[in-house]
Amino acid sequence: MSEVIRYQGIPFVARFRLSAGELMERFYQSLKAKKLTALKCNCGYTVFPPRIRCPKCYARLTEENLVELSGKGQILSFTKVYFKLDGKGNFVDLDEPQVLASIKLDQSDSIFFAKVCGEPKDGAKVEVVWREETKGEFSDILCFKVVE
Amino acid sequence: MRRNVAIIGCGQSKHGRRTDVSQCEMVAEAVWAAIEDAEISPEDIDAFAVGNMQGFGGIAQPDLVFTDFIAATGKPVQRVATGGTVGGSVAHLGYYEVASGMYDIVLAVSWEKHSDSAEPGATTGLLHVAFANLSYMMKMGMDMRSFAIMGLAGAAAGVSAYQAAQYMARSGCKIEHYDMVAAKARRNAAKNKYAHLKWPGCTADDIAKTEMIIWPMRFGHVCPASDGASCVIYASEEAVKRLKVERPVAWVKGLAAYADEEADQGESYQGTGVVDYSDQIGCIISAMKAYERAGIKDPRKEIDMAEIYAPFPHQELMFSERLGFFEDGKAWIAVEEGVTEIDGDFPICPSGGVNATNAIGSSAMQRVVECALQIMGKAEEHQVPKDVRNAVAHGWGGQLQFNTVMVLGDSPKRK
Amino acid sequence: MRVAIIGYSQTKFEYDVEMTREEMVFKTAKDAIESAGLTREDIGTVISASTDFLDGRTISNCMLIGATGAYLKDETKAEEDGMYAVLYACQRILAGIHDVALVVAHTHSWIFNPHQVSVYMLDPLFDRQNDLLNDITLAALQAKAYMKRSNATEDDLALVSVKNLKNASNNPYALRKMPDATIEDVLNSKIYADPIRELMVAPPCDGAAAVVVASEDFAKKYCENPVWIEGIGNSCDAYLRDRDLSRLVSLEIASRKAYDMAGISDPYREIDVFEVTERFSHQELMIHEGLGICGDGRGANFIRMGITEFYGDCPVNPSGGALSGDAICATGLVRLIEVAKQIVGEAENQIDGVQRGLAHAQWGLCAQKNLVFILGGDYEA
Repeated sequence: MSEVIRYQGIPFVARFRLSAGELMERFYQSLKAKKLTALKCNCGYTVFPPRIRCPKCYARLTEENLVELSGKGQILSFTKVYFKLDGKGNFVDLDEPQVLASIKLDQSDSIFFAKVCGEPKDGAKVEVVWREETKGEFSDILCFKVVE
Repeated sequence: MRRNVAIIGCGQSKHGRRTDVSQCEMVAEAVWAAIEDAEISPEDIDAFAVGNMQGFGGIAQPDLVFTDFIAATGKPVQRVATGGTVGGSVAHLGYYEVASGMYDIVLAVSWEKHSDSAEPGATTGLLHVAFANLSYMMKMGMDMRSFAIMGLAGAAAGVSAYQAAQYMARSGCKIEHYDMVAAKARRNAAKNKYAHLKWPGCTADDIAKTEMIIWPMRFGHVCPASDGASCVIYASEEAVKRLKVERPVAWVKGLAAYADEEADQGESYQGTGVVDYSDQIGCIISAMKAYERAGIKDPRKEIDMAEIYAPFPHQELMFSERLGFFEDGKAWIAVEEGVTEIDGDFPICPSGGVNATNAIGSSAMQRVVECALQIMGKAEEHQVPKDVRNAVAHGWGGQLQFNTVMVLGDSPKRK
Repeated sequence: MRVAIIGYSQTKFEYDVEMTREEMVFKTAKDAIESAGLTREDIGTVISASTDFLDGRTISNCMLIGATGAYLKDETKAEEDGMYAVLYACQRILAGIHDVALVVAHTHSWIFNPHQVSVYMLDPLFDRQNDLLNDITLAALQAKAYMKRSNATEDDLALVSVKNLKNASNNPYALRKMPDATIEDVLNSKIYADPIRELMVAPPCDGAAAVVVASEDFAKKYCENPVWIEGIGNSCDAYLRDRDLSRLVSLEIASRKAYDMAGISDPYREIDVFEVTERFSHQELMIHEGLGICGDGRGANFIRMGITEFYGDCPVNPSGGALSGDAICATGLVRLIEVAKQIVGEAENQIDGVQRGLAHAQWGLCAQKNLVFILGGDYEA
């Protein structure tokens, strides 16, 4: 059996820069304006974030189907997370556990996986908390806070 | 008793630099075009075959992310990935899914989104190929810096230049023949609305004027890094009847994908190392087996045209010989005589081929699509004038060792 | 025409197998061919199963042609669990083009932590931007959603781990064994995201497995103990955001298809052993419901009443399941092999009189895809 020699890490990174497509670019722009947008299909299903095909009936969706969401929703389930992955496969303990929830936004059918600030409860009503300065990025959404 | 399988519809996304769409949207473009072309509704599809090179687009198992984009929710999906041949592998998988009797109508789609790379020349994916698979070189004393330079320059183009030189030595052709093939590719591509590098009226001289990268590879010989998705919809003979398909369809008559050993020694010193990269034994055997299964005895006479996977022009010559269309070392004569032009006696790559459009994951499937279009008479401006009764779609890739061969025809009966 | 499994092999799962990919794959492929009593010349087609991300190299099969025995054979690679490669091999044989196929599945988890790879399975344009999301935290949300819908509690999740880790003690191939496991051990293990704890997560490791499948004619001629593939069902659910995480809808679809094909109307009674891929403890309970062997929302009842113990009425994972070792692409294939062993009578926790077994594999975040195989013995002989 030959000797196993391991190489760890390569001294450069080959990076990706992904195209988002028109709908998602528009979605991120509306994040900058502190708006959450979705697409409502004629069949009744509202998909969030926008995508070009309805997940239920596969109809083609465009900006004509655009709807703005209230930013309110409900927690379907939540978990206290005690770790993160560092991007290289290592587990890193968090100083403080963070709350992750699957949230059903009002007027939307898709689930949104997002951080929750404050004490969560199953079925609790939540509302989006925006960052002070928004840049048109996912992190513009700071978290969801429990409102009742 | 083998079940006959036909291609009843094809779809392609526009190939090229598609920064206007995300990977998922690009695949959906091809899929819905195929569904429309096949005149079916998504409910009719029984199963899916998908594949691409996941390291190129930065998503692991992208088909799981876009399941509902392509109407696959709840349906059976199978994924294969074999490198440059992935399009051919997916095409074969789709065929087998129907031929097995498990499903009647199967949609097969393969794609690549090179432009999602932030590196020059859209090389993120190719760097992954070079570095991981060739890392054994550092075991043999090469230092990291030299390895990095070799990986960047050598991954695809460098190795192919070596192969081009070997082919030239054994066949006696000249670099002018490579120029002629590359020019034909760009000329033909100008007639193909889905192609990437279009150059109407391109001549061998135009190509000869481009800069020499490394002998015998000129800049004008190199394929582009395209984005694109290609899709076919298979149906069993019963389904073709059930759907009352009146229009011409393309029948799959035989296929094979026999793998040769890796062309470089691996990390455990496996492989003896293929010495002549233009040997392509895998192609010879795959062709032999595919013809046997299709009942083809004399490919040169019985096959009417071929779509050959040739990112570089020497490969069109090389593979056309290995696939049995010309004798060993004689393909360049056919090129000189215009035999392989669109209006020639044996058209090769009337679509412009991989030299004009290379979305790696999609390319081998696109060869199947193009052959099917030719048989069905739907290739529009680049339709070959002669009758196409039988066509060969070929794919190539891996560590130079993978080949996929599919024989398509206008009737299910073997001749 | 039917297809049979006529040979198989698996490696001992290790955190670090201390072999190169090629060596591990070579050994497994050779052992499988030998176990079928064949030589490489008898094999017509070879299908391997591995993924580029997990192997850390694009075209993860290109340097393994020699090792998998695929030199000058009709070869391809499935990029998902090895059981899907067996499905493809069956299709190649049923199409009448091949008689004998070799399937080899392998993963070296030390190359790239599979939990990290799961992050790359997220939609890059949205979910991947949330740095808390990965397969474990999503599984936690799935577990919570399931527990809310059903009567399952954290104790039930722990019971699954206890059962499987105990079962694994007799399995020489298993990685993680705890013959004296208790619920407290599980509930005291390191917490990741509640309710998911260390002993509730299938441990990623190195491993390979291989099977030889053959056409009916070939199997009848050359194999004394063929294990027949009687039913197959395959289905893929929608992506995370647009599916019901509290149930395995694609498993419901896949299992019904498999039962139809095998002519099974009452799986609880007609199937003697189940080997399922439970990447997290709660998934085994969800799988009970997805397979239709218990009532809706009643997945936990089975574990509480001991029905799924290897001595119980409906044994599930007598081998220890994925919780005893998860070599990602090889794991589902090992489930298939374990069922085959039960039918042939060679399993470690052998159950009496097994005539029919069910093997299950999953793929994707929160088991988005599910695949079911029904195997049967040669009892009509």
